[in-house]
Amino acid sequence: MPLRDYAVIGDGRTVALIAADGSVDWLGLPDLDAPTVFAGVLDASRGGRFQLEPEEPYQVTRRYLPGTNVLETTFRTERGTARVTDALSLDDDLALTPVRELQRQLDGVSGTVPMRWSVQPRYGYGSRAPRMEWRRGVPVAIDGADALAVCGWDVGPVECRDGEVAGRFDLREGTDALIALPFAHQEPLVLPARSECEARMEHTCQAWRRWAGSREYTGPWREAVSRSALALKLLVFAQSGAVAAAGTCSLPEFIPGERNWDYRFSWIRDSAFALDAFLRLGCPAEAHAYFWWLMHASQLTHPRLRVLYRLDGGTPARERVLPLAGYRGSAPVRTGNAAAEQVQLDTYGELLHTGWLYAGATGRLDTDVARRLAELADFVCAEWQRPDSGIWEVRSTPVHFTQSKMMCWVALDRAIDLARRRLIPDRHTPRWRAARLEIHRFIENQCFSERGACYVRSAGSEDLDAAVLLGLLYGYDGAPSRLRSTVDAIDRTLRDGPYVARYSGEDGVRGSEGAFVACSFWLAESLARTGRVERAATLMDDLVALANDVGLYSEEIDPADGAFLGNLPQALSHLALISAATAMDAGLSGAAR
Amino acid sequence: MNPAGIAAGGFIGTLVLTTALRAASALSLTRMDLPFLLGTAVTVDRTRAKALGYLMHFANGQIFAFVYYAVFLAIHHAGWWLGALFGLVHGLFAVTALVNTLLPLVHPRMGSPLTSAPDVALLEPPGFLMLNYGPSTPIVSVSAHIAYGALIGGFASLAG
Repeated sequence: MPLRDYAVIGDGRTVALIAADGSVDWLGLPDLDAPTVFAGVLDASRGGRFQLEPEEPYQVTRRYLPGTNVLETTFRTERGTARVTDALSLDDDLALTPVRELQRQLDGVSGTVPMRWSVQPRYGYGSRAPRMEWRRGVPVAIDGADALAVCGWDVGPVECRDGEVAGRFDLREGTDALIALPFAHQEPLVLPARSECEARMEHTCQAWRRWAGSREYTGPWREAVSRSALALKLLVFAQSGAVAAAGTCSLPEFIPGERNWDYRFSWIRDSAFALDAFLRLGCPAEAHAYFWWLMHASQLTHPRLRVLYRLDGGTPARERVLPLAGYRGSAPVRTGNAAAEQVQLDTYGELLHTGWLYAGATGRLDTDVARRLAELADFVCAEWQRPDSGIWEVRSTPVHFTQSKMMCWVALDRAIDLARRRLIPDRHTPRWRAARLEIHRFIENQCFSERGACYVRSAGSEDLDAAVLLGLLYGYDGAPSRLRSTVDAIDRTLRDGPYVARYSGEDGVRGSEGAFVACSFWLAESLARTGRVERAATLMDDLVALANDVGLYSEEIDPADGAFLGNLPQALSHLALISAATAMDAGLSGAAR
Repeated sequence: MNPAGIAAGGFIGTLVLTTALRAASALSLTRMDLPFLLGTAVTVDRTRAKALGYLMHFANGQIFAFVYYAVFLAIHHAGWWLGALFGLVHGLFAVTALVNTLLPLVHPRMGSPLTSAPDVALLEPPGFLMLNYGPSTPIVSVSAHIAYGALIGGFASLAG
């Protein structure tokens, strides 16, 4: 199944991927970063899945119910039409709710459609088949402290064998059916009544509509921004406020290839874009919670920042390889992320910019937070001259990446501004000013190519890097002519139609990769900020058209055929879309945010 | 054993426990901050939360001290070692059930396994053994509670 054919549903705690053929091929339980019950997308034979489709040839159309993360799939066969509504139900006070619950409601729209379904849970990323037992006539797949029940109503006789629960039935016009998968973790199962499930589905739709209806964006590409906001909300881990980089792990950046990473963590890299998006879209609760989480999670290693944190704030797991075949044979399948141990200096700029945004929105900073932001600036003064692995987390030898230096400049610039406004202690401001000037000199002297008339990927190289566009977007104080010519160089060299590659040159990992979706949106925003608004708008139109049928983006896209690559849904892709659209709506041109 | 001794032991014990946790936090051993967790149950203002949290924390210190006292009276025995044993049990209860399970259920701003979209929690849940707040958290927390218990037991026996 092409990655482009996947939609995602979620409940703020975990997400599920649902293919266009109705198969749930990814679901981690109980949380987004927990081991999976369904991982068929990574290994069709071992991963586990929940199949649900007509028994005869069909055509399929899909949409999200307006303003929700509830997916509606319509199957049309020669004999009739069936509709499946999928949701991970949200918590409510209406009844005793399961810890997690996947619901699949079926409606006979016209004629008669023979349906078949099969639930094949495989715990621990497909490593363990469950022990099947019956509770009150309901099959339950058990593994240690976890249990997943398969509750079906009007879905035909249920067969249970070899770790699989399956059935078939005819869905006639005007009839409906329901399959619910309540899940329990370290507690007794809740086996819901059908009426409770239906009420919970209704509540889920209403809750999503209420949330989406409260968003404040009314500018261009509104539909895309709205869907991006909803996709982003799926990646906000409700228990802590953290924002996951993506909902999945090890979906390949090239097929077949080894660029398969676990993105179910929260990257500091995404923080500024995320907070900016929350503020622009009118999500104060999410902004507030995310900033609290950032400051809390980064406390243990302060003033040093980790590149990424677990969603619950814990220490990231060590990277390991799972014995799965990988998506279309793209092994290794990795969980955990070795990038957690890297030095990435750009994170300090992103976090200080985030603090600056937060302070701008709230007008104040807690004493403890203010002290820590000032100490981060001190740390940047001491560390900026180090080589690092950069925003792209290269696994080659660390170098002096231009974007990292630009973000160090941004870090000190924001600290100086916060101190000027008396929001953080100002006793080290002279030191920050001096270091900011030094960094500026380094960038202008070492990281700009006179030959290419652009800021290059790293000091002394001639390679290009789309990430330097972030310098422009975050307000790095380069000469306007240099910033503009850099945008032009990236537009000319790294762009192929609407697609923009991350960089030219090596990164220490074998194989190629697709175009990076976020870079395309950064380029669009950069074009707008350097006065080429029409070109920017045209590129935005092209990029919005690149989303899949339900408006989602993965991390990368193959320019050759438009195939999705990498993990999905990808927060950075949707954040970059929101940033570009809202910036263009605000009519910005070259001013720092 | 008299109430005044218990109250003094509870106060000193809480002082030591709080100082130990704060020092561990400053040494980057844990992100655990009991007063902050308690205070944010009543306000989102971080500074006010800490001030209120300390008051609540010391009140809790007294309440638990008198629970210890009730048990001492029931068994007609108190002492440093017995108090330390109670502190160990208390500490284990705190990291497994009290702060990890019960607090998220009553704390309006702390995430729990049931928190779902569109809500979003302001405080991350502690997790089993409070490990979300750092790998050293259970050791630090249990050790501090042992010291707290020992002081109450000791004061109870001294105030004979």
